[in-house]
Amino acid sequence: MAFIVLFPALVAIYIGFTEWSPTNGTTFWHAYQNWHWFDGYWEAIRSHEFWGAVWRTVLITFVCTVVEMVLGFCLALLLVKDFRGRGLVLVYFLLPMMVVPAVSGFIFQMLFQVDGPINGMLSFVWPGDVKLQWLSDPTLAIWGVMIADIWQWTPLMFLIFLSGLVALPEDQMNAARILGAGFFPQFTRLIIPMMRPILLIAIIIRAMEVFKLFDPIYIMTQGGPGTATENLSIYFYRLTNVSGRWGYACAVALIVLIALSIVAKQAIKPIERAQNESMEELMTVGGEDAPAERIEDAIDAGARV
Amino acid sequence: MKKFLRVFAIGLFALFFGFPLYWVVTMAVKPKAEENPPGIIYWKPQNPTLKNYKDVLNLSNTSDSPFATAKSYSALTPLKNSFLAAGFGTLLALAVGVFAAYGIARFRSGGKELPFQILQLRMFPPAAVVIPLYFMFVYLHLWNTLQGLILIYAAVTFPFVVWLMRSFFQDVPREVAEAAIVDGCTQWGAFYKAVLPMVKGGLAATALFVFILNWSDFLIALVMTQEHWITAPLFLNSLSGGAGGQEYGHQAALAVLLILPPAILGLSIQKYLVRGLTFGAIKR
Repeated sequence: MAFIVLFPALVAIYIGFTEWSPTNGTTFWHAYQNWHWFDGYWEAIRSHEFWGAVWRTVLITFVCTVVEMVLGFCLALLLVKDFRGRGLVLVYFLLPMMVVPAVSGFIFQMLFQVDGPINGMLSFVWPGDVKLQWLSDPTLAIWGVMIADIWQWTPLMFLIFLSGLVALPEDQMNAARILGAGFFPQFTRLIIPMMRPILLIAIIIRAMEVFKLFDPIYIMTQGGPGTATENLSIYFYRLTNVSGRWGYACAVALIVLIALSIVAKQAIKPIERAQNESMEELMTVGGEDAPAERIEDAIDAGARV
Repeated sequence: MKKFLRVFAIGLFALFFGFPLYWVVTMAVKPKAEENPPGIIYWKPQNPTLKNYKDVLNLSNTSDSPFATAKSYSALTPLKNSFLAAGFGTLLALAVGVFAAYGIARFRSGGKELPFQILQLRMFPPAAVVIPLYFMFVYLHLWNTLQGLILIYAAVTFPFVVWLMRSFFQDVPREVAEAAIVDGCTQWGAFYKAVLPMVKGGLAATALFVFILNWSDFLIALVMTQEHWITAPLFLNSLSGGAGGQEYGHQAALAVLLILPPAILGLSIQKYLVRGLTFGAIKR
């Protein structure tokens, strides 16, 4: 662990203070020859490209997470009731999730061609021939990338929400129905509050992953046209493997890592809470009016801990 | 009316989620002329053929296979690399992670913070983490080798193993290990003979899960390998820029081959999918 986590971190800090590149002709421990203190950090903070990449990463993360959540929730609500062949339908909706992300990038690259089937389908509903340049138009490209991610990961949200919906206490739902609550009050007053912890975990986990998005973007547009779809991951890749600016890339990476670890610390809390829930339950159960069996259960479990 | 609306909505979803898969599966059996001709869209293959699969797997020795000239090797080597790297990476991650998970679950090794520090490793974009790893691997002569790739894959999926296995170990009552010790087992013996058999299902699910993750990797292999040691997703990408223009048919055939293992494995651990994808936070 130390070998694969600590050492690279130290090297990155060291290189981040230099303007080193493999093409300098020196090995990386000679990087002090190009020492320039915080110049890399300064450049990053003033760089439009860096902030552009940050902005696009945030935009992609936000839009994808929200849309996936809404679609996933709708689908879960549609499919929560049992019917014949439901098992097969569930499997069908889980398939996109199993696709290798790089492959999903390739699939959408095919679909978004000018003569491809997406424009073909739009031509059916829209008058005239639709010839949208999905992946080479600077404003459309980022939406194309997002659609690919939404296609692939809505099933995950769907699966998480479905397992949450199935586990909702039925008597409360029935009580609400008998008392004459319509669908929307049921939804906003009962389902959402009871699903809150699950919603939160789903959002965090999805946001975490979209933030790192790389494969489909790289395959579909390589960050282009220009920098129109360049998020942070693609930006790092371009800095190192295309521009060869390793020292600067390390500085940028460290800025992002430090910012992220602050965010991550907060984001991890709900997961922590879910993990410790069983412990908390033990603390709150007890007292005089708790039912006898529950106390017994608690004692049993307590002996284990 | 309400029922009709519901079926209609499900149908719309089904179209959106199913169509891309339909397209890649049919593209894989289309001959070159039907792949992406300007002006016409072949919604279904007119003359289905298996040529694409044969070319990709190096089964056809005709000269019109693009691999005969443009590429000196077919998708076989990348597929083999992918399989070996993902497989051994998984084994290594399990070998280390299972013990760590048991220690954390049973003896609270590392205190309350350690598991979350391990989880935080997953939050950093690999594109940033891979930069310093690249130096190190070049220096250690592990760059562009299978061993190097295996090592990184193991390190990257290690948090997953710890978190998943921890949640499985926590489901085993402490008394199991204690009873085994009372019956004369050592601490190790209790782990091997009593606890491990009880989490067999969880262990298998974790292994398949990690395998899928490794199999799906693109970025790490992109930075860490080239030419002979590239993995299959990279090969898929390299086909698009070839001299013969777009190779949708061949790419699609390879894509289907790439989708199949995770799809089969993933569906076989469907029961554990939610738990796995949420780091064991939701246990259903």
